[in-house]
Amino acid sequence: MVLKAFFPTCCASADSGLLVGRWVPEQSSAVVLAVVHFPFIPIQVKELLAQVQQASRVGMAVLGTWCHRQQEPEESLGHFLEGLGTIFSHEPWLQLCRERGSKFWSCKAIHRQVSAAPDVPSEDQVMLIFYDQRKVLLSQLHPPTVVSDHQDGDTMASTGGLAVVFDTVARSEVLFCSDQYDEGPVRLSHWQSEGVEASVLVELAKRASGPVCLLLACLLSLISAASGCRLWKLWPLPFIRSKLSTCEQLRHRLDHLTLVFSTQKAQSPAQLMRKANMLVSVLLDVALGLMLLSWLHSSNRIGQLADALVPVADHVAEELQHLLQWLMGAPAGLKMNRALDQVLGRFFLYHIHLWISYIHLMSPFIERILWHVGLSACLGLTVALSILSDIIALLTFHIYCFYVYGARLYCLKIYGLSSLWRLFRGKKWNVLRQRVDSCSYNLDQLFIGTLLFTILVFLLPTTALYYLVFTLLRLLVVTVQGLIHLLVDLVNTLPLYSLGLRLCRPYRLAAGVKFRVLEHEVGRPLRLLMQINPLPYSRVVHTYRLPSCGCHPKHSWGSLCRKLFFGELIYPWRQGGDKQD
Amino acid sequence: MACSGGGGHGQPSSAILSPVTPGSLSTSRTRAHSICMVSDFFYPNMGGVESHIYQLSQCLIERGHKVIIVTHAYGNRKGIRYLTNGLKVYYLPLKVMYNQSTATTLFHSLPLLRYIFVRERVTIIHSHSSFSAMAHDALFHAKTMGLQTVFTDHSLFGFADVSSVLTNKLLTVSLCDTNHIICVSYTSKENTVLRAALNPEIVSVIPNAVDPTDFTPDPFRRHDSVITIVVVSRLVYRKGTDLLSGIIPELCQKYPDLNFIIGGEGPKRIILEEVRERYQLHDRVRLLGALEHKDVRNVLVQGHIFLNTSLTEAFCMAIVEAASCGLQVVSTRVGGIPEVLPEDLIILCEPSVKSLCKGLEKAILQQKSGALPAPENIHNIVKTFYTWRNVAERTEKVYERVSGEAVLPMDKRLDRLISHCGPVTGYIFAFLAVLDYLLLVFLRWMTPDSIIDVAMDATGPSGAWTHQNPDTTQRVENDEVLDTPR
Amino acid sequence: MCAQSITSTKEAKWQKVLYERQPFPDNYVDRRFLEELRKNIYARKYQYWAVVFESSVVIQQLCSVCVFVVIWWYMDEGLLAPHWLFGTGLASSLMGYVLFDLIDGGEGRKKSGRTRWADLKSALVFVAFTYGFSPVLKTLTESVSTDTIYAMSVFMLLGHLIFFDYGANAAIVSSTLSLNMAIFASVCLASRLPRSVHAFVMVTFAIQIFALWPMLQKKLKACTPRSYVGVTMLFAFSALGGLLSISAVGAILFALLLVSISCLCPFYLIRLQLFKENIHGPWDEAEIKEDLSRFLS
Repeated sequence: MVLKAFFPTCCASADSGLLVGRWVPEQSSAVVLAVVHFPFIPIQVKELLAQVQQASRVGMAVLGTWCHRQQEPEESLGHFLEGLGTIFSHEPWLQLCRERGSKFWSCKAIHRQVSAAPDVPSEDQVMLIFYDQRKVLLSQLHPPTVVSDHQDGDTMASTGGLAVVFDTVARSEVLFCSDQYDEGPVRLSHWQSEGVEASVLVELAKRASGPVCLLLACLLSLISAASGCRLWKLWPLPFIRSKLSTCEQLRHRLDHLTLVFSTQKAQSPAQLMRKANMLVSVLLDVALGLMLLSWLHSSNRIGQLADALVPVADHVAEELQHLLQWLMGAPAGLKMNRALDQVLGRFFLYHIHLWISYIHLMSPFIERILWHVGLSACLGLTVALSILSDIIALLTFHIYCFYVYGARLYCLKIYGLSSLWRLFRGKKWNVLRQRVDSCSYNLDQLFIGTLLFTILVFLLPTTALYYLVFTLLRLLVVTVQGLIHLLVDLVNTLPLYSLGLRLCRPYRLAAGVKFRVLEHEVGRPLRLLMQINPLPYSRVVHTYRLPSCGCHPKHSWGSLCRKLFFGELIYPWRQGGDKQD
Repeated sequence: MACSGGGGHGQPSSAILSPVTPGSLSTSRTRAHSICMVSDFFYPNMGGVESHIYQLSQCLIERGHKVIIVTHAYGNRKGIRYLTNGLKVYYLPLKVMYNQSTATTLFHSLPLLRYIFVRERVTIIHSHSSFSAMAHDALFHAKTMGLQTVFTDHSLFGFADVSSVLTNKLLTVSLCDTNHIICVSYTSKENTVLRAALNPEIVSVIPNAVDPTDFTPDPFRRHDSVITIVVVSRLVYRKGTDLLSGIIPELCQKYPDLNFIIGGEGPKRIILEEVRERYQLHDRVRLLGALEHKDVRNVLVQGHIFLNTSLTEAFCMAIVEAASCGLQVVSTRVGGIPEVLPEDLIILCEPSVKSLCKGLEKAILQQKSGALPAPENIHNIVKTFYTWRNVAERTEKVYERVSGEAVLPMDKRLDRLISHCGPVTGYIFAFLAVLDYLLLVFLRWMTPDSIIDVAMDATGPSGAWTHQNPDTTQRVENDEVLDTPR
Repeated sequence: MCAQSITSTKEAKWQKVLYERQPFPDNYVDRRFLEELRKNIYARKYQYWAVVFESSVVIQQLCSVCVFVVIWWYMDEGLLAPHWLFGTGLASSLMGYVLFDLIDGGEGRKKSGRTRWADLKSALVFVAFTYGFSPVLKTLTESVSTDTIYAMSVFMLLGHLIFFDYGANAAIVSSTLSLNMAIFASVCLASRLPRSVHAFVMVTFAIQIFALWPMLQKKLKACTPRSYVGVTMLFAFSALGGLLSISAVGAILFALLLVSISCLCPFYLIRLQLFKENIHGPWDEAEIKEDLSRFLS
C-alpha cells in the first residue's frame, strides 16, 4: 500500500528536526503537524506530546525525522537522524529529506520490526501531500462526519480518510497555540496565528459578550414570560394570534433572539454557524426596518398614505359593486336563474354597503394607526411586512366573506348533487364500506330526490359563477399575501453569515479537496498539493437554511385544484387538522 | 456463440419429421432449438398462463434448448431481465390496453420483435393465450419473416354472442398459417378446431402441469372437529362466484359444523360479503382476499373438501393442485374438467346450486364416515399425472415436427389467407400481410440483419454457465436420454 | 362422459382423459372427435300471438310517453285547464287504486305488508312537495332556452323508454333510472308552462302516468290478461286520437310505429329463428339458470 504523508507547507522551510503528528493505520497515512527542532531533550518532547494528546485527545507521536540541507551536506546529521529512530520507536519510521534548493525531496518509510527480515529495513512507496495548515484547521468539511468523541485518539471509528485528516488538524489546535518564539524547552515549527495582539478588538468583544448576553437573555425571558401570561390565553386571543402573521413573526423573532443570546456555548460548529446566521439575519432585518422607518417618516409620507387609503378602499368597493351588478344581469350570456341571482346579488351588495360605512367610520383614525404601525418597522422589516399583510387581510375582509359564502353554498350544492346523482342512478354511498352500493328506493324517495336533483342542477350554474368570481378575487388577495410572506421568509431563512463566509473565505466551508501534482519523477516520491474545494452556494443555502416561520399551508397543485373544485375553503395559514402532503 | 449453442440457426433444417409420439414411452434425443415464447401475460402478473410459460421454459432449458420470453413492460419493469437458469425475458415498452393485453396496430411491434428474433437467432416462435394481442402479432410477423410458429391456446370460447363471433374470426386469421397448435385439453382442442376452422391433425393436446412437490398434503393443519371447504379462485362471474353465494347459505344452514375458506379477489367479492353479512356467517366464512401462489398450498391444506364452481374451464389447474394436497374435489362438469382427474378423485356436478350442494353433501358424508382415502395416498396418485418435464418433452416433439415443416412462401401464404378466412376478411388480412412484408423489407434495408448484434446466451455456450444443473451440458453433449418424470 | 371403465384389451382404446398416458400421438384424432357437438339446443319456438301479447308492454310505455307529451302540449297551449286535469287525474288515480286492490283481492297488499296509511302518507308527500316546489319549478328554467329544454326532455324520455323494465333480464335495465329520467323530463317540461299551478298539475300527472300506471298494468297483465289487452288497445287508441288532434302526420307515424312493434317485429323474430345455427358443446360457458338473488333479499 502506498504510504501517504501529509506535510504542512509552512514547515517546508523549517530547520531539520523531528516530525510530530499522527499515524492513521487504516489509511496508512501520516499526518505531520509540526517539526521539533534541535536541540531537544527526548524526555521533554515526550512530555509535550503527552500534554497535547491529553488536551486534544489525538494520538500524537514522533513519526520520523526531517532533514533540511540548507547549507552544507552534513553527513553526520544523517546518521544521527537515523539513530533517533531507536529512541522514538515508531512503525513505520519516516525519513523526510529536502535537498538544497526546494527542488528535490526524498522520503523513505522504513519498517524496522518486520519479523521476516529483521535486519533489512523494508521500504514502502511514499506519496507526499502538502497541505495548508491554516486553511485545513479553519475549514469545515461537508457533509460533516460524526467523529465520536469518547473514543481514544488511536482508534478512530471514522472511515472517511479526509475527514480524519481534517479532524486531526482541527483537534490539535492546542499544539499551535504554543508560540514559535517562546523559549520553551522544545522548539517547534508549525503554522502560527498572527497572535493575540492583532485581535484586541475581537478579544474585547469576546470578553464583553458574556455579560451582554446575560443581560439580553434576562430581558428576553421577561418578555417571553409576559407573553406566556395567562391573560393571553383567554378565548379569542389565541385564535386571533394564530391567524395574524405579525404575531407569528414576532414570536419567531423572539425565538431567534433567545437562541442567539442564550448563555450556553454552541456545542458544534453547525450550531455556531446557525447562531451567527440568526444574528446576522436579525441585524440585517432591523437595519432594513430602520431604513424603511426613516423613509416613511420623512416628508409626511404616512399622511399621504392615509389620505390615499380611504379612496382606494372606496374604489375597490365600487368596483365590487359593479361586478355584482354585472353578475346580477346575464354575465357573459350565461343562463343564470334570475331569482337566485337577485337574492345573492342583493345579499352581497348589502355586505359591501356595510363595509364602506365601516371604512368611513374608521377614516379619521387611519393616519394615527398607520403612524404607530410605521414605528413597528424598527423591530425589523419582516415585522413591518407582516403587519402590511395583516392590514391587507383586514381591508379585504369583505372579499373573504364573499368567498366563504360562495364556497359554502357551492360546496353544499356539489355534495347534494353528487349524492342525488347516485340516487338518480339507483345507487347509494355505503359509509361503512366506503363504496357505492346499489339500493332500491321507495317511490316517494325517488320522486323527492329527483325533484331536488333537477332543481339543484338548474341552480348550479348561478352559484358556481358567484363562487368562481369570488374565488378568483380571493386568490388574488392570497397571492399578494403569499408574495409578502415569501419575502419575509426569505429574510428569515437566508443564511447570510454562511453566504458571506463562502464569499470572503471560501476555504472555511469545504466540500472536499483536490490534489495538484507538484512533482512526478521516477524514483522520487510523488508530491501533491492538497487544495480545498469550496462548497457550492446552493449547498450552503441548503445546509444552513434557518427554519421558516412554518405557518403557511403546503398545498400541492393537485390538491389545491381538487379543493377549489369541491368548494372547500382554502386558507393562507395552516389549519389545525391539515395534513401535510 | 449463442446461436451455435442454441444450434438451430447455423445448420440448415435437416427435415427430420419425427412423429409426435405419446408422452412417456420413448424419447429420442433431438437437436436443440432456439425458442421465443411470446405472450402479454408473464410475471409479475400472476395466473395460469404465466406459470405455464415459466415452467415450460425452465424445463426446455433443462433439456438444452435456448428459450427467451417476450412480454410487455409491467410498470417499472422494462428492458431485459434474467430469471433462474439464465432465462431471458424481454419486457417491451408497449402500451397496455385492457386487462394486461397490449393494444395492437399489427405493425408497431414489428421493428422490436424483428430485432429480438434476429439478435437471438430464434427459430421457433411459441405464442401463448388467445387473449394476448402481442402473441397474435408475433405469429403474424413471424410468418412474414419466415419463421416456424406454434400457438398454445389456454382458454375456451363460446360461439353464441357477437364478441365471440368477432374474436373467433380473428383467431381463424391468426392461426390460419400457424404450423402447430397446442391445446391443454381435448375439449379445448375441439373448441379451437371449431373456432379457427383448423385441421385437427395439426392440433396437439398437451395438458398443463403442476409441481407436485409444491402441493403436498399436511393433514395436521386441518381441524377434524369441523369440515372445511376451501375455494381458491378469482372471484369473477366466469369462476361461478354467484353459485358460491348460493351454496354457502344453503349448506351452512344445514350443517352447523361446516366452514368455508375462500381465497381470491375480484369484483364478485361483494356478493360473498353480502351473503356473509346477511346470514351472519362471519365466523364460518373466511374471505382471505388475494393470495400469492406460494400461499395457496397453505390455504389448501387447511381444508377437507375443495370446491370449484367454474362455469368454463379449459384445464383446471386448481383442482389438480387441491387433489395433490389430498383434498376431495367437488367441481362443476364444464369444459375440460372431466378429463383432468379420474372419477374416484372428483365429484362432478352440474353448474347449479342444487347439484353442487348435492355433490358437496356427498363429499361431507364420505368425509364424516371416513370413506375417503388418506391425503397422502391421494397425493401419491395425483403426483404421477401431470409433470412439467412430461409437458416439455411432448412440446419438444411438437417443435421437432414443426422445424421440419416448410414455411409457406409469401404467395402461398396470401392464397391460403384468402381461401381460408373468407372473402372479405381474407382479402383484408392478405393486404395487411403484404404491408407487413413491405415494412419488413424497409426495416431490413434500414438495419440489415447482418449488422444486428447476436445476443449472448445467459446460460453460456451450451449452457456451461448454469450452476444449478452442472450436468446439463454434459447431458446435451452426450445425447443422453433424459429421465422420464419422477 | 369421460368416465369409462378402463378396459385392458390388447388394442388400447382411446379415452378422452388427460391423466393417463395413452399410446397415441398427441395430435391423434379419434372417431369420437366432436361427438358432443350440438346445434340449436337452446333455440326457442315462439308462438306468434304470444309474442304479440308480450310486445304490448312496449306499446303501453310508448303510449304513456305519447299521452304525456300530448297533455303537456294541450296545457302549454292553454287548451286544457289545470283544475280539470287535476280532477281527472285524481279521480282516475282513486279508481286505479281501488282496482289495484280488487284485482287480486288484496293478496299483493298482504304480501308486501304495506298499509293504507303508508299509501296516504306517500300521496301527501307527493302532493305537498310538488305544490311547495311548484313556484320554484316555474322559474327554474326561465333563462334556459326552450330548445335546450326540449332536447333535454326528448333525451330523458328516450332514456326512460330504453331503461324501462320491460321484463327482459339484461344489465341495461334499471327501473329506478328509468323513472328518474321520466320525472326529470316532466319537471323540465313543466317549468315551461305558464303558471305554477300548471307546473304542479303536470308533475303530479307525470307521477301518475310514469310511476303508478305501470304498477297497475303489471298487475292487470298478471291477473286478467284479457282485460289487459283491452286496456292496452284502448290506451293506444286514445294516445293516437290525442296525437291526431295535434298533428295528423305524427299520428300516422306513431300508428305505424305501434303496428310495426306489435305485429311486424314478432313476425320477423319468428322468421329469423329458422336461420339460427348455434353451436354448443362442453366448452360453452355454463349458464346459471337459478335465481340467485333470493339468497340476498
